Amino acid sequence: MISEDDVKKLANLARLELEPSFTPVITSHINSILEYVQRLDQVDTSGVTPMSHVHGATNVLREDVAHTPGTNPEPTPLGDPTIPQQEMLPAEGLLQNVPDHSGRFIRVPLIVE
Amino acid sequence: MTDLAALSISAIREGLQSRQFSCVEVTKASLDKASRLAPLNCFIELSPESALKQAEQVDTLIKAGKQAPLLGVPVGIKDVICTKGTRTTAGSKILHNFIPPYDATVVKKLKTAGTVSIGKLNMDEFAMGSSNENSAYGPVKNPWNPEYVPGGSSGGSAAAVAAGICPITLGTDTGGSIRQPASFCGIVGLKPTYGRVSRYGVIAYASSLDQVGGFARNVRDCALVTQAICGIDPNDATSADQPVPNFEASLGKSIKGLRIGIPKEYFVAGLDPHIKASLEAALKTIEKLGAIPVEVTLPHTELAVSVYYILAPAEASSNLARFDGIRYGHRAAGQMDLKTLYAKSRSEGFGKEVQRRILVGTYVLSSGYYDAFYLKAQKVRSLIVKDFQDAFQNQCDVIAAPTTPAAPFKIGQKLSDPLQMYLNDIFTIPVNLAGLPGMSIPCGFTPDGLPIGLQLIGKPWDEATLFQVASAYEGETDWHTKQPALAY
Repeated sequence: MISEDDVKKLANLARLELEPSFTPVITSHINSILEYVQRLDQVDTSGVTPMSHVHGATNVLREDVAHTPGTNPEPTPLGDPTIPQQEMLPAEGLLQNVPDHSGRFIRVPLIVE
Repeated sequence: MTDLAALSISAIREGLQSRQFSCVEVTKASLDKASRLAPLNCFIELSPESALKQAEQVDTLIKAGKQAPLLGVPVGIKDVICTKGTRTTAGSKILHNFIPPYDATVVKKLKTAGTVSIGKLNMDEFAMGSSNENSAYGPVKNPWNPEYVPGGSSGGSAAAVAAGICPITLGTDTGGSIRQPASFCGIVGLKPTYGRVSRYGVIAYASSLDQVGGFARNVRDCALVTQAICGIDPNDATSADQPVPNFEASLGKSIKGLRIGIPKEYFVAGLDPHIKASLEAALKTIEKLGAIPVEVTLPHTELAVSVYYILAPAEASSNLARFDGIRYGHRAAGQMDLKTLYAKSRSEGFGKEVQRRILVGTYVLSSGYYDAFYLKAQKVRSLIVKDFQDAFQNQCDVIAAPTTPAAPFKIGQKLSDPLQMYLNDIFTIPVNLAGLPGMSIPCGFTPDGLPIGLQLIGKPWDEATLFQVASAYEGETDWHTKQPALAY
């Protein structure tokens, strides 16, 4: 069983700010989920290797190649079907999603006094 | 007058080639129908401008005599899949303003195949849900009865196909999010083998389970869309270098002598009697076609939901850490310190189910609980994989089972009890945990007129046998020809 205080601590770790009225509700939900999954305790898993990749893949390596922004062709109907290694994305495309920026710099709250 | 939006892929192809209609006309028909059926809430956003531009390009190609299986076919894309220049929200408020600067690999593949994307489909926020009620953009309604849920998380993808808005759509499946809505909406949906389809550009929920797949109203159309998206991608290290067979070659092939495994753990108390009866009838049909039913056992089935609700939230809590209000997405207004900015932006942006799963994931990964929950779940996951390996090794070629234990439920019915909602995925989750291909095809209706699905589960990389069995079954039945009487 975890308490409302435990949930508040978890929320802090996960960088969430719970609505006060939601804290007791979510605490009871989390407890019922944790109670349900505890049935795994009854399974004998001695000698069982924990799953790491379902088809047994290990490290997948490739050459680290730098690309020039904006050099990949746009996909067109019945155009070249080869999927190129992803191009570098142009800064403008990325910056248009930044909530607060000044030129090419992302604005953030003061971090170091 | 023919409803161009409701045509099959082959009918569209025939009409385009014989110039009965143009791609612009088909595209307009799909867009118009999507607007008319707006109360179903299938789409988060339609893209008429880019769609009509693409359609004009296709018409030029057709006039030049070009042909291809998917040329000129309207599609919808689940809104968890990035589309360059078109807003992609993952069903979340936190991404209400996110415009991807690149296309997901599956989107690129569909574009070069010549399809025309008409818009982005509604879904449970970050693909977390089984009813589509967790979308920040409102619930999707089931075309068979708008009081009922369409299933989730790819609810918009399933409902748009079932309502005849477009012949194919893309969805994603982490614990059943393609197969369960396909079942609830009476259509065909396939989750390919883990690694079969690139996840590049798909906003991650649980990376070891997520897989993109297609919805269609018949098995052939599903085979065509699957064909178009499969294959290794240098941008996704988990996409596999496996040969992709021609899935159309499996259609119409005899299933004589094929061994159909029937897992006894899927036919237990708690299975809706109408679903049980439909499944038994479907299995009889499959047997009549010459397949051999064999009882198999998947002894750890009952533990799959527990394993899933440890591993998926764990992966989600890590994947969703990137949404911090700094580089993209929603940022809380006002002056505050960095930590408060993170917490406020995330809490304003994430819905309740997402917050719940982030907290569960944070808990099971925290020191002191990691071994008891996360590591234990990964061990039991190995046992679930072995259950399937044992069944496929000696006893059967494909497994047939219900897709869901219960019929579609009413909107609002299960919202107060998350655990009850989770248990709805009991028959689909094991397939994700084992990385196998799984398909749902329509096999009947409840007395209330709501669809029932038959689930087929294959060996790794063996989608071909699923298409073979599904096509043989479809050839003997007419469930796929039934259409909902739309309320709008």
